[in-house]
Amino acid sequence: MKRGVVVGELWVTKQAPGLLGKSLKLIAQPAQQVSDGDAASRTLNELAESQLVVAVDTLDARNGQTVLLAYGSGARNVVVADGSSNRFELCDAAVAVLVDGDSSGALDCEIAPQVVMLTAQELSR
Amino acid sequence: MIIGRVVGEVWASRRHAGLDGVKLLIVQPHLWYCPPFEVAHIVAVDTLGAGVGEDVIVCLGEPARRALTTKMGEAELSRLFSSPPGYQSAAWLPVDAAVLGIVDQVQLASVESSASGTHRPLRFVGPTPAWGVDAVASFGQSATQAAESVAP
Repeated sequence: MKRGVVVGELWVTKQAPGLLGKSLKLIAQPAQQVSDGDAASRTLNELAESQLVVAVDTLDARNGQTVLLAYGSGARNVVVADGSSNRFELCDAAVAVLVDGDSSGALDCEIAPQVVMLTAQELSR
Repeated sequence: MIIGRVVGEVWASRRHAGLDGVKLLIVQPHLWYCPPFEVAHIVAVDTLGAGVGEDVIVCLGEPARRALTTKMGEAELSRLFSSPPGYQSAAWLPVDAAVLGIVDQVQLASVESSASGTHRPLRFVGPTPAWGVDAVASFGQSATQAAESVAP
């Protein structure tokens, strides 16, 4: 699983039938934290190498919350949690864990505001 | 899934039998997307009738093949899986990206405004913001300033 930060929500009316009723969240995935440098330069480095993904959210993640994303068949297992066959699920990324905190602080993510600003710029081009 | 903008369409007269009658779209991913293969554009099959300039959700990998076949009827499926011998299921289709949805609106998280300390919700509608282009421009500027202010 990979960590990410929820930066927004998608509204989609015209969609594949398999996506109906699923909540889609826009999630920024900051790059791995570099340990050297001060906090500000670290933040900029993270921003420069972040990625933006769309994930199915079954856990009701809040905006700005740190989450862990599951990919591939793991994501389908999140969406269909009862163990039945999920090979026809149209999902390749899903929110699997809502992170409250961790002992090392490696999953802390305070860059959500900057990521949101960059996303806004990009989408309004 | 990733979010991207449709920038064009591919025409091809000779193609794999599994791609007969399928519309191919050129999608430019939004923001920082770095696939394992380094490309600026992705070609995705269209199941919804997306047009140039629209923001779409693109699914990658196995679910993309499923998306293509779940749209088809029985007749289309039997034709598809009988024409290339040995192709019995969607897993054999030469597809790894499909458009799953056309984005109406992206509702971004509120950003705390440093001046007033209040939260300002951001809403974008469609490919171009339907409200206040000026507002977006000024917002972009403040974002640049914010980035400069945290730079060492």
